[in-house]
Amino acid sequence: MREFIEHLKTGKFRVPKCMSCGRNAWPPSHCCPYCLSKTSLKKIETTGILLEFTSSHCKGKEGIFGLVEMSGIKLVGSFHTTHLKEGMKVRMKECGIGPDGTAFYFFTPTMA
Amino acid sequence: MRRVAISSWATSKFAKDSRMPLLELACEPCAEILKNSVPRKEIDAVLFSSCATDQYSSTIISEMLGMHPKVSHRIDNLCNSGTNAVASAFAMIASGLCDSALVLGAEKADSPGNKLLWDITRGSFIFPVHWAAIFAKAHMRKYGTTEEQMAKVSVKNHKNAAKNPQALFKKEVTLSEVMNSKKIAEPIKLLDCSASCDGASAVLLVSEEKAKNLDNPVWINGIGQQTNSASFANATNDLTTIEAAKRAARYAFEMSQTKPSKIDVAELHDAFTILEILAYEDLGFAEKGGGGKFVDQQEIAINPRGGIIGCGHPVGTTGVAQVTEVASQLAGKAGKRQVKGCKTGLVQNLAAAGSSATVIIMGA
Repeated sequence: MREFIEHLKTGKFRVPKCMSCGRNAWPPSHCCPYCLSKTSLKKIETTGILLEFTSSHCKGKEGIFGLVEMSGIKLVGSFHTTHLKEGMKVRMKECGIGPDGTAFYFFTPTMA
Repeated sequence: MRRVAISSWATSKFAKDSRMPLLELACEPCAEILKNSVPRKEIDAVLFSSCATDQYSSTIISEMLGMHPKVSHRIDNLCNSGTNAVASAFAMIASGLCDSALVLGAEKADSPGNKLLWDITRGSFIFPVHWAAIFAKAHMRKYGTTEEQMAKVSVKNHKNAAKNPQALFKKEVTLSEVMNSKKIAEPIKLLDCSASCDGASAVLLVSEEKAKNLDNPVWINGIGQQTNSASFANATNDLTTIEAAKRAARYAFEMSQTKPSKIDVAELHDAFTILEILAYEDLGFAEKGGGGKFVDQQEIAINPRGGIIGCGHPVGTTGVAQVTEVASQLAGKAGKRQVKGCKTGLVQNLAAAGSSATVIIMGA
């Protein structure tokens, strides 16, 4: 998890991949949840499918957000557009750690 | 395996600020139980459910209450902690390790259990309302569940809470008030949500042998538990179902050799109104997709104490308080909110995006 965060801080999305079975460990872990072998951070395909989305009015957390599935992992991302539909293809445009210390994954619809 | 009964119970008045420190708050319902039940020296275990990280808290409480139990420790599993503590106490007694166990839950409104900062899969949308909104949106889209049906859950539970002197909220709300309350995360509005608060609750569990001396013991007939993940991302593959709750219910019904149609009274984990609707389906009360319409039914008394929405949600206390309510109902001691003729009751308790769940089935 620590290494994942370090990369995220620099805007890089790197997911621990099992050095034995090759599957992604998500949430990030040094240990593969499938075969318990060690993992190593790798770049993954960050185009995925928007499963569901809605909008938040919580103070400091305003905006459109949704659950995205990509490369076999799921995460909650944010969007700067309301032109969204469940099942559409989206890609991660930016990621990092916000001023409040939480992770952010910013997605956008793909043009295709 | 020995049978296990609930012999006595007590719940403190839930409040936004009780002006009591955590451990003092925790002692309140315990003192009420201990004054009126078995001698303290006969209590073998003290299990403290709380998300507060106070060191050695269960043992400090034991000493404050003048007890010297064989077993004393804290149990934390976020909002699911309370029923986890009851399940642990049940196992200790059923196995013969203990003959009696005091389970207590206590939490302050500012509990660290209110946010799960560990879950990096949620990105910056860290509040429970964010995952609840995704479940609600998915259920509306797939099954046509409406915001009005969700609002009816809030109206019902506030109405029930108005009869509960221990509840945080004692004022009824109208459908229009819920529908027009502040939007938090669409489609969820302020009055679709529970509120964190101070609160404590306790139950005393005893072996079958000790229960022989009781007039009206309430029996724990089945417990089911399931942990799918800690993260929202891996909690469920179907955003219209709390899969852990569905499985926990199956285990509990199998163990108790009963079925959903036999349940007379239930305390369900309505931290958000959509969760009560999902629970109707996950527990087998309603068919899949029929949860929205089920809110109008009158067959099963759902959340007679006011649920989490009406009573408030001191996270580590909630599961214990749910058990005290169903025990009160089955023993015929629920006062103004007594459900007539109830014989079988159920408690459903969840944690963090439904990533883990407990279902307890009890009988008179």
